[in-house]
Amino acid sequence: MSMRTPTTNQYNLSLLNLQNVQAQIAQNTQRLTSGNQITSPGDDPAGSASILDFQNSIQANTQFLQQASTANNLLQSAADAFTGAIDGANNLQVLAQQALSTPSTGATSMSSLAAQVGAIQNNLLSLANTQYQGVYVFAGAQTTTQPFTNSGLTYNNGTASGPSDYLNLYVSPTSKVTTNIPGDQAFGTGTGSDLFKAVNDLYNGLTANSQAAVQTASTELTSALNNLYQQQAVVGGRQAGLADLQSSISAINLSLQSAQSGLQTTNIAQTYTNLTSEQTAQQAILSTMAKTNTNNLFNYLT
Amino acid sequence: MPGLTSSMFIGLSGLQAQQSALNVVGNNIANVNTPGYTREVAGMTSNPSQVQGQNYFGSGVSLDSVTSVRDKFLELQLTQATSAQAKYNTLSTGVSVVSSTLGDSTSSGLAAQIQSFFQGFQTLAANPGNSAALTSVVGNAQSMISSFQTNYSLLQQQQAAANQTVGTLVDQVNKLTSQIAQLNQQIVGSDTTGSNNAAVDQRTTLTNQLAQLVGINVIDGGTNGPYQITLDSGAATLVSGTSSFDLAAGGSPGSSTVTSTIVGLPNGGNVTGNITSGQLGAELTLGNTTYAGYESQLNTIATAITTNVNTLNAAGYAAGAAAATGTNFFSGSLAGGTLSVTAAVVGNPALNIATATTANAPGDNTQANAIANLQFATGLVAGITGNFSDAVGHLVSTVGIDSQNFQTQSTTQQNLVSALQTQRDQVSGVSLDEEATNMMQLQTGYQASAHFLNVINGLTAGLITQFGGTAS
Repeated sequence: MSMRTPTTNQYNLSLLNLQNVQAQIAQNTQRLTSGNQITSPGDDPAGSASILDFQNSIQANTQFLQQASTANNLLQSAADAFTGAIDGANNLQVLAQQALSTPSTGATSMSSLAAQVGAIQNNLLSLANTQYQGVYVFAGAQTTTQPFTNSGLTYNNGTASGPSDYLNLYVSPTSKVTTNIPGDQAFGTGTGSDLFKAVNDLYNGLTANSQAAVQTASTELTSALNNLYQQQAVVGGRQAGLADLQSSISAINLSLQSAQSGLQTTNIAQTYTNLTSEQTAQQAILSTMAKTNTNNLFNYLT
Repeated sequence: MPGLTSSMFIGLSGLQAQQSALNVVGNNIANVNTPGYTREVAGMTSNPSQVQGQNYFGSGVSLDSVTSVRDKFLELQLTQATSAQAKYNTLSTGVSVVSSTLGDSTSSGLAAQIQSFFQGFQTLAANPGNSAALTSVVGNAQSMISSFQTNYSLLQQQQAAANQTVGTLVDQVNKLTSQIAQLNQQIVGSDTTGSNNAAVDQRTTLTNQLAQLVGINVIDGGTNGPYQITLDSGAATLVSGTSSFDLAAGGSPGSSTVTSTIVGLPNGGNVTGNITSGQLGAELTLGNTTYAGYESQLNTIATAITTNVNTLNAAGYAAGAAAATGTNFFSGSLAGGTLSVTAAVVGNPALNIATATTANAPGDNTQANAIANLQFATGLVAGITGNFSDAVGHLVSTVGIDSQNFQTQSTTQQNLVSALQTQRDQVSGVSLDEEATNMMQLQTGYQASAHFLNVINGLTAGLITQFGGTAS
């Protein structure tokens, strides 16, 4: 005996199938128009969590790139100051050698050399007080106080110094880079390689027309110059490290973005193919409904 | 030998039976689109034979029953599947409403907002005391709070809606059970031998509607018997014989309750925990468990962030300050609806946002770094091994898994309902082709009976003309 297929049942089943196909069409249309494969977390819970995870990592890395760039700028302003200071110190050394090489220079020449030293001294002072975005670069943690003053050219940061004299920025969740060199260390304040003491001694020696004092100052100057070269190398090393870090974070971000887009972005070819086949199915259902559901025996009774 | 009159009665019985059967066909056709209608068949039997001399002669036909063609087992299965389908459909819709907001992975999503907040401290660390960086920290904090609150209040609104829906559904349940009890009365009270098909159909339809609203167990009292309906857990009776017992909705959003009004039930008739299926079960689950669970996860994350940031902020020094701020960065709580950035912090960020661990050190960024690094600290959120972002990811995947699970269940149950409906319709549905065939058959039968009557009538008339024509 054949199966009974009641009239309403045909309508209901056709309608259910039509609705299913239309729901799929709606979802694929949303995928294509939004560009997102996952239209809500329910589509792919694990995928949604992964996308969020990638997004977080990318956002964190982007911030770290920014931190590294800020750190680099801070270090660059220190490096610029060192370059200027080294130039200045070399010029001073030339002046000292002039004073030493020609013993008969005389008081007048000595005082003219002293005037030149004074000009360079002011220049060095302003370099030691370099600011980046309103912050004194060589002031340790006392970033709002001018570290070197004209009064005897002493380093001011004696009162509130501490471990925070070194300022650090995090450039990854676990690693940090020191963005400053405290002024005492940078210019050898209070040590045998004290730049400003050397300048001061040179100035005084020239003013007093004392070759012995100039000789001592020249030796101090050499030592100060060596310290400056050393500090410049420290800064340069940190900057090189940052550049490596920045390029590796950028590379990681690229691969994270590609992984994320693999999960998130609609596979247009596949989705479009699905959509086309669903549209074909929809047309088939519609045309079948229109043809078969109108047919029954009553059509043929007269 | 039977007489002509007797033959006429045979013809008459044929006419009457075919016409009544046509009436049944007509009724089937008229109800082809009536939901829950069960097709009827006319039961025709030949009348008892009568002995005339040596032979038994038939005495025509009579229509002795109009029976609904139903499979009670299928109908009960359909009732249960309907409950489950309605449940998962409601759950799926309920979760999908909140899933796209909670699962927002764009820069406006909660996860991104939390990260932006901490990144504000990273920027601040590069230049502690910078007023633009300080203002941006406060702004980011307010955006993060508003993102938390948007999600939280969306859940609360959904809970309120669920609570309201529970009330509406309970009203509908009560209406249906009282109608079913009335139909029970009609069916039990009918004294004809056949059953009251229309009332039985209606009762089946109403029972199915009831099953959509709440999971039920139906005990069928047999032909002309009443339906006894209880909650599927058996915790309370809804219809017994000709009486119905109301449910009552109560409680508040997040803790909706349903109680049975039958006196003497345990727990004062509170059957909230016993209703797990149907729309009502789904709304109770959504409001009391699902949304509440998401809220609690959100609240745990918010509390972990605020507590940890507050501790560090109060202990640290503002840039260049001589003493620790002693100020909490955040005040209030998410669950209490009062979470905000402390007024003092908004009013004077330079004095109240900690960036240093030492006094009088405007360049010290140790505390700003420490607060920023909270974003990578693991184990701060209760129950989550990862960091804050992982906790949000966990919440998103919880919502996603719920949504996917309910969607799948809903589809499965929809397929089951559809298969059962097809089976039920194959037994009980009206087929117009079949009715047309029956109609033609009955029409032919009617025409033949009429023709037969015509022949007998002709014979009788001939008899009267030939033998009685001269009686004038």
